[in-house]
Amino acid sequence: MQEAITEIQSASTLQTLNDLRVKYLGKKGVITQQLKDLGTLSPDERRKVGQEINAQKQRVEEAIDARKVWLESEALKAKLLSERVDVTLPGLQYSTGGLHILTQVINRLVDVFRSMGYDVATGPELETDYYNFKALNFPDDHPARDTQDTFWTTDGRVLRTHTSPMQVHYMETHKPPFKVIVPGKTFRNEAVDATHEAQFHQLEALVVGERITMADLKGAITTMAKTLFGPNTKTKLQPTYFPFVEPGAEFAIWWKHPRTGREEWLELGGCGMVHPNVFKAVGYENVTGFAFGFGIERLALIPYGIPDVRYFHQGDLRVLEQFRGLL
Amino acid sequence: MNVPYSWLKEFLPELPDVNRVTELLAGLGLGVESVSEVAAPPKDVVIVEVKSSEAIEKSDHLLNVCVSDGKADYQVVCGAPNVTVGMRTALAKVGVYLPGAGFTVAKREIQGVVSNGVLCSPKELALYDYGGGIIEFGDDVALGTELSSLWPSDTIIELEITPNRGDALSMLGVARDLAAKLGTTYRLPDIKRGDATTDDGLTVRVEDSEGCPRFTLQRIDNITVKPSPVWLQRRLASVGLRPRNNVVDVTNYVTYELGHPSHAFDLDRLNDATIVVRNAKAGETVVTLTEQKVDLDEQDLVITTPVEKGSKDTKVIGVAGVIGGLDDSISSTTKHVALEAAHWNMATIRKTAKRHGLSTDAHYRFERGVDPNLSPLAVARGAQLIAELGGGKVHAGYTDVGGDQPLKEVMFRPSRVEFLMGFDVDKKTQQNYLEALGCTVKTLADDEWRVTIPSWRFDLAIEEDLVEEVGRLHGYEHVGETIPNMQFVPDLNDVTHRQLRYLLANMGFQEILSYVFTSDAELAKSNAPVASARLVSPQGVERSVLRTALYPSLIQAAALNHTMPSLALFEIGRVFNDAETERLALLVRGPLIRGGWRPDQKTDFYVVKGLLEKLAHSLGAEVRFEPREVSYLHPGVSASVIWNGKDIGMVGQLHPEIGARYELETTFVAELLLPLPKSQVKFTDIVRQPHAERDIAVIVPKDVTYASLEALVGKAAGERLESVRPFDVYQGPPIPEDKKSLALRLWFRHPERALREDELEGFMGNIISAVTQTGYSIRDK
Repeated sequence: MQEAITEIQSASTLQTLNDLRVKYLGKKGVITQQLKDLGTLSPDERRKVGQEINAQKQRVEEAIDARKVWLESEALKAKLLSERVDVTLPGLQYSTGGLHILTQVINRLVDVFRSMGYDVATGPELETDYYNFKALNFPDDHPARDTQDTFWTTDGRVLRTHTSPMQVHYMETHKPPFKVIVPGKTFRNEAVDATHEAQFHQLEALVVGERITMADLKGAITTMAKTLFGPNTKTKLQPTYFPFVEPGAEFAIWWKHPRTGREEWLELGGCGMVHPNVFKAVGYENVTGFAFGFGIERLALIPYGIPDVRYFHQGDLRVLEQFRGLL
Repeated sequence: MNVPYSWLKEFLPELPDVNRVTELLAGLGLGVESVSEVAAPPKDVVIVEVKSSEAIEKSDHLLNVCVSDGKADYQVVCGAPNVTVGMRTALAKVGVYLPGAGFTVAKREIQGVVSNGVLCSPKELALYDYGGGIIEFGDDVALGTELSSLWPSDTIIELEITPNRGDALSMLGVARDLAAKLGTTYRLPDIKRGDATTDDGLTVRVEDSEGCPRFTLQRIDNITVKPSPVWLQRRLASVGLRPRNNVVDVTNYVTYELGHPSHAFDLDRLNDATIVVRNAKAGETVVTLTEQKVDLDEQDLVITTPVEKGSKDTKVIGVAGVIGGLDDSISSTTKHVALEAAHWNMATIRKTAKRHGLSTDAHYRFERGVDPNLSPLAVARGAQLIAELGGGKVHAGYTDVGGDQPLKEVMFRPSRVEFLMGFDVDKKTQQNYLEALGCTVKTLADDEWRVTIPSWRFDLAIEEDLVEEVGRLHGYEHVGETIPNMQFVPDLNDVTHRQLRYLLANMGFQEILSYVFTSDAELAKSNAPVASARLVSPQGVERSVLRTALYPSLIQAAALNHTMPSLALFEIGRVFNDAETERLALLVRGPLIRGGWRPDQKTDFYVVKGLLEKLAHSLGAEVRFEPREVSYLHPGVSASVIWNGKDIGMVGQLHPEIGARYELETTFVAELLLPLPKSQVKFTDIVRQPHAERDIAVIVPKDVTYASLEALVGKAAGERLESVRPFDVYQGPPIPEDKKSLALRLWFRHPERALREDELEGFMGNIISAVTQTGYSIRDK
């Protein structure tokens, strides 16, 4: 019987093991045959020999089961081993998208103003003289118009030189009080170089109510600046002239330059109290308001040290792809 | 405008240091562009007189010049065209480094003549930008004097004056604002005004008193035209002008000193000593001082004089408020001068200057507004200086047509300062500020002032303007920071399409932004609609029209990035056809999933369509595609996109002809109108009954679309049909060549119970008979 156990324990495949089961335990197997032969013995012997054979049968069965478990686990091991992959080979390359860096800056600004309860509006880029200039208190034949080198179309329209025409559109369709920002493309017919573009982006804010003051204006700019650049940011106003505000100012923010780490003034944009002639143009009475606006490109150029403003509109993926991580 | 610190100090003797002054100016709204130090000329550059000048034989232009510094003679070689015996100029001795020329003067032998120095041009000395001749001085400078002692260093503050502040375009104007801020008074030069009632023999006739409300003329007799004294040359150089002679220089000096442009006429060339101001006539021309011929327009105002003595006809001698004519200008032989200072309509001057492309210091000031009540003082100042420098006599009388202009008044409530600025300034202080700026204040009631505006402030017209003046002088640093308490609920509409952009980026598309400018050629090259908006003065022909579609920009970007193995780009932007619309364009070229060491997933129409479907499903929209041809897409691979039932654009393979023009391999593009039609979620509860699945394969002619078969099957199947999906499209044996097999998987479901076999057989029977009645056949398994 020891021979049978040895044979089972050395079975190398499940098939061999099954053959051994048949050989010993099958209908015509060695042990089955021995049990059949018991009938020829006396009852006493039959009991004694029967017990022995059954004990042997049990040992053979156990040996077969044990061997089966072992062989199965070996087979699984071998199968898994055969399925091993080279995890160091590159993965499939899925096309990776991203948002334009200027879109990301605009999104951030929109978030800032949304959190302050502002509405967001967009509007046409090809404007009429009325919306771009006249309704904004730019008199005809006034040198104030020279401050905004203008692209005129042959049919007398104008590529908006600022996002401010939307002040007029928005006021024509909304009743005060309100707070709104307008992000968008703007155009100036200036000589193009590394720091000047003919097409760029601005963000405009307009707040109108019964009694809005210059302090509300400064509060809004400072809140924006602090949200964007941290709690140590502050704002400075200095008088200047834009036809559509009076009093008018330009604003600078005291910030830590993201690359040099130096704290300094960043001159950002223009602002002021909405000129009464602008309110007159849209039929508003007994309200005051403030407006401010600034260029968006610089907020991308300076922090990332982008050397040339023309990169933004050239569609070169070697440039644009570098800003994907911000998505 | 350049403001030399030393000149400003003449008006404000107690002027603070430069740093403080620039701070003050910025706080006043007179923006400081830059501050620069202008060095004095180098040592060992001395005043000399030319004693003799002889041509050098071997040279066509070089001269052997002998100059004297009063003690010794120097032989120098000089090539300047303006060398004349007796003139005074500057000699740089051997060893002097000339900053404007970038070399050190050495003793040299030129064409056989030894040169012991250099006679210098203003440019070589870095005094001002003129290198056409050597600098010329008058006899106000003593021989041998070091030029650096006459022309000391200075600090130049460059101001960017906003177009509303024409009054600040002079030393007087800047000093006036600074004095108001500092609470001091400015000092005017001592000017003796003439008497308008004394007859001076001059006649002025103004035919258009609206265009020319005032014309003032002052005569100065028996003068000598010569180089200006060095102090005057230095002043002009420091504001960026080139000195000419003692008359012309004085008019320029007065422009910058007082802010009033003036023009000097040679009185002997004014026939009948008469000036007529009138509109130009059709066909009239004038040659300007800068030798530019101008074809005048009838809208232009011109200054004229009789064509000859006693004539009624007049000839143009100047373009009013812009530039003088060449013929009657000051020359070296001028003896008598008529000095003019006039007030012009701002818009008229601006239009004329624009029309003829003329830009001068005079027109720049007149279009911004020049104090109309300053002209008598301006001519008096000019005449006084001309006489002082040219040895002539100022006539006791002067001619003044139009006289002083009335002053504007503005009603003002001092309470509005706090109302708008948010900070309070007490009334007494407000009044002081306004008066310091030249206003007069009359109190009508406690909060009602009548403020008379000084003649030089064209920008003060309404109450808010005066609020700014008070705020400006008090200082914007007093503005607080508050947040308005406002009952306003913003609209949360995603007008900037953020969600769409994020979805596309996450689907693997890189966003680009392109120029709205393009060209007719580019539009034609990409089969885009013809331009409807063209620019008047574009930045080159390639930027001369506005784009009519977005996809051409994406094609160009694809061409630019041709080395990338695959591209997925999108842009959201506005295009300009009959109407301006906002659009989304997509471009896909190459596999979106690249295997690298394994096969790529090839991009075809269905990949792009699938992406659009994924986008639609992400936005909860239903999208369909219908075959439609368009000029820029492959005629067999293009479809219109029906989004929530609305046709919003096209998708397909870029027409291979266009692809070839841009050297692009197979490329897919889509262009859709924004905003995408919105969807509303309609919830339906889960059906817990099982579905039953049946397959059917139909043989149809090749040109039958899947959509039409689906519609046919759907209609025949009845209301228990839940969905139809194609699972195989086959062409080839044993299917006839002109046919194809479409295999459909149908799901049926009843909302309340399981469907019985006989019901399903009935549905399928209906489908089969509908299909066969249409002329199609069922493909046996």
